[in-house]
Amino acid sequence: MSQQRMALWAADEDIDEDIQDVSLAIGNYGQNGHFDDAHIQPPQIDEQTLIAMQQHLVQQAAFAAIPDVVKGFIVHFHQAVLDNNLAEITVAYESGWNKYTEKFYSRTEWPEAEIIAPLVNDDPIFLILYRELYYRHVYSRLQPNIDDRFHSYENSCELFNYLLNSEGPVQLELPEQWLWDIIDEFIYQFQAFCTWRSKVKSKTEDELLMLADSAGVWSSYSVLNVLYSLIQKSKINECIVAQQEGKSPEEIAEIVGEYGVKPLYRMLGYFSIVGLLRVHVLLGDFTLALKVMDNVELNQKSPFTRVTACHVATYYYVGFCYIMLRRYPDAIRTFVTILNFIHRMRQYHTRSYQYDQISKTADRMYALYAICHALSPSRLDDNITNMVKDRYGDELARMQRGGEDALPAFEELFMYACPKFINANSPPYDDPAAISQILNSSPTASPTQRTTELPSTATHNDPAHRHLRLFLSDVTAQSPVPTLRSFLKLYTSLGAKKLANFLDADEEEIVQEMMVMKQASRSVSRIGSEKSSLLDGQTITTSDLNFVIDDNMVHIAESTIGRRYAGWFIKNTERTQKILDDLRHTPLPAPRKTAAAASTSVPATEAPKTTGRKVAWGGVKA
Amino acid sequence: MTSTWFSPATRTELIESLVSGVDRYNPSNVGILEDYLYHQIRSQEYDCLANLAILKLYQFNPDLYNPDVVINILIKALAAAPAPDFNLCISLLDERPPNANMEEPDPLPSLLPILQGLHHLLYRCRFPAFWRAYRSDDLEALRDNYTIECAGFEDSIREVVIRAVKSTFTRISTDRLGLYLDLNTPEELNAYIEKLGWTLDSSGTVVNVPSNPDNQIEATVVQENIKLPQLTKVISQAAKA
Repeated sequence: MSQQRMALWAADEDIDEDIQDVSLAIGNYGQNGHFDDAHIQPPQIDEQTLIAMQQHLVQQAAFAAIPDVVKGFIVHFHQAVLDNNLAEITVAYESGWNKYTEKFYSRTEWPEAEIIAPLVNDDPIFLILYRELYYRHVYSRLQPNIDDRFHSYENSCELFNYLLNSEGPVQLELPEQWLWDIIDEFIYQFQAFCTWRSKVKSKTEDELLMLADSAGVWSSYSVLNVLYSLIQKSKINECIVAQQEGKSPEEIAEIVGEYGVKPLYRMLGYFSIVGLLRVHVLLGDFTLALKVMDNVELNQKSPFTRVTACHVATYYYVGFCYIMLRRYPDAIRTFVTILNFIHRMRQYHTRSYQYDQISKTADRMYALYAICHALSPSRLDDNITNMVKDRYGDELARMQRGGEDALPAFEELFMYACPKFINANSPPYDDPAAISQILNSSPTASPTQRTTELPSTATHNDPAHRHLRLFLSDVTAQSPVPTLRSFLKLYTSLGAKKLANFLDADEEEIVQEMMVMKQASRSVSRIGSEKSSLLDGQTITTSDLNFVIDDNMVHIAESTIGRRYAGWFIKNTERTQKILDDLRHTPLPAPRKTAAAASTSVPATEAPKTTGRKVAWGGVKA
Repeated sequence: MTSTWFSPATRTELIESLVSGVDRYNPSNVGILEDYLYHQIRSQEYDCLANLAILKLYQFNPDLYNPDVVINILIKALAAAPAPDFNLCISLLDERPPNANMEEPDPLPSLLPILQGLHHLLYRCRFPAFWRAYRSDDLEALRDNYTIECAGFEDSIREVVIRAVKSTFTRISTDRLGLYLDLNTPEELNAYIEKLGWTLDSSGTVVNVPSNPDNQIEATVVQENIKLPQLTKVISQAAKA
């Protein structure tokens, strides 16, 4: 026993020693391992360096795979950026990049930034700009995967960090087109991410995990933060106000501070305003969208017209806001202005890489114009109306007739033409229970926002359909109007009962419909007040058919528009005058050997024709 | 009309700075805006843009969501018909993820279709139908919990009616007007008419609607206006020749 006890006793000590030994052993093991590494595992070191070497080789191979012209282009581009040589940068950006994309990279990605880094001496700023272009290419030509999306967000953050949080304004100069594209692409990637993010059911396990960790990536707050910061840093609103008040350049420079005087920041601030307009529309806040444009004048002289894509986008979003605010006359005027502009400018832009995008936006605006025209007919611009009739004649006819089959036409055009709305928040990826609930639920189980009269669209719940339903409920309210109009046009006074008999409806219903019709013919519009904010306006009448109800009698008055011939006459007179002037000033033809032939063309003269002919011959001969 | 909608006189400086500036995104300001909403409810004022600011904060910060506030905003917007306020509010109500964090069940999903139905009736000027629906048993929950808090809710709906009636009628029978205003006894109706300043005609059954730009009609021919500057080029060239 005692022996055992001693043994136990001893055993404890042993255990202690053992434990110590173990730690020593571990230490030894570690050291041994390290030590062993040196001896036993040279293959392992080799493997690690092998891997590194392999990566290096891969990079080298990739580097070698880059065509020489592309390498030369990158070096040249880099040099131009370093030199702040705006003209060179513009050329490289607008034509160079696209040329090489078409030639070499139309279906693959450009080489990664790390691979071309040696060419540009690892210049971080240029690499950020290069990555911006790289991801833009991925998003537009290829399908970005989740890594691409996260990395492009990080890159954008780095870029804006560099621009906003360096000490003092940066010395970089970039062409305005590029600045607009940076903002445009940033918002586009945000929108693409939100749309992708909200499709919970199509995500793989890995993607779900990654999304669960990434609350801040592409969040609405960060996007808004960037845009507001750019606006605030460049003090662009104060700058615009000062310019409108006619202050001198020195005063303006003082007001905007050191950031605002640099064109880079000023244009970025300006484009951020348009960017905010767009983001607010995407999130469904139409009044705020118009409010941020308070200081920007919507005319041809504003700075945003310098970049065509920006110009077109601004008008598109402003017009759309007016539609959702039920201000159809304002929307029509907006669309007409920009569609006329695009039509005239089309021939200059066919080779620009932006042409496709502008064309698509123009098509959507034609559809929106058709919608507005059906809801609030006006004889404002026959030119555009004709073009719309060419494209959407069938839908336009259906919409204008009103009634039951107008609704699908409205729905079709609205869904085609509306912006790609997004949800501000992501599905709850960080909450596994909620996610599995969503994954297991059927589409119609979530609470729908149904109005009683709408058919199939009631089951979809993405943002576009929500806005569509709101719009359609407005349209259904107005659907009896065209029929009523057609009846009222035939009379100057009509009893309500008689009208009800014509339409096979109850008299009270008809009276209420008349109130709706009256309501529909009045809109808030900015027509009288050009200079004011986009949200201002007064109520105007938009219909040429006016009526009142005197107890039970309807009195109707129609206003007609007299024939307008002055514009046509003036235009043609001026054109004829111009032709005549041109003819008079064309140089006289060279003298002909056969002098007497009177059949040759007679040069125009300053004096009346018959006497002039002789004078001309005389002049030529002399 | 829009300048008061845009910036009502009853809005204070503080609210103005919140609505127009960047602070509207700061979640801690939601309390100020909510208090302002309750002030509007109690004192029969209305400020559309401030209420939209609340909804926007809810859009970005779902944990701030307060269904009572949303319902109150929608009720206030009902009274603004036919302006698009109600639709603007709905545009800002994103789809809410199903979460079980709330202590009580969310009343919004059940009340929202009802409110939308009411709005639809108002927008289509179906006033008798509106009052019937409003007074029905189905809407008892709405009436007892929400609209009763909103001071002068029924009067503001009556104002919507009056706006529509004023623009369409020059004279309207008292029966019809009573039906639209849901004032069923002659005493109530006459009192209301007097408050508006309208007059009854001799037989006592027809109300005269005062003339306003909307209910005066005349057939006009829109003539073309040729201005002198348009003709300068033509005239000057004619003078040269």
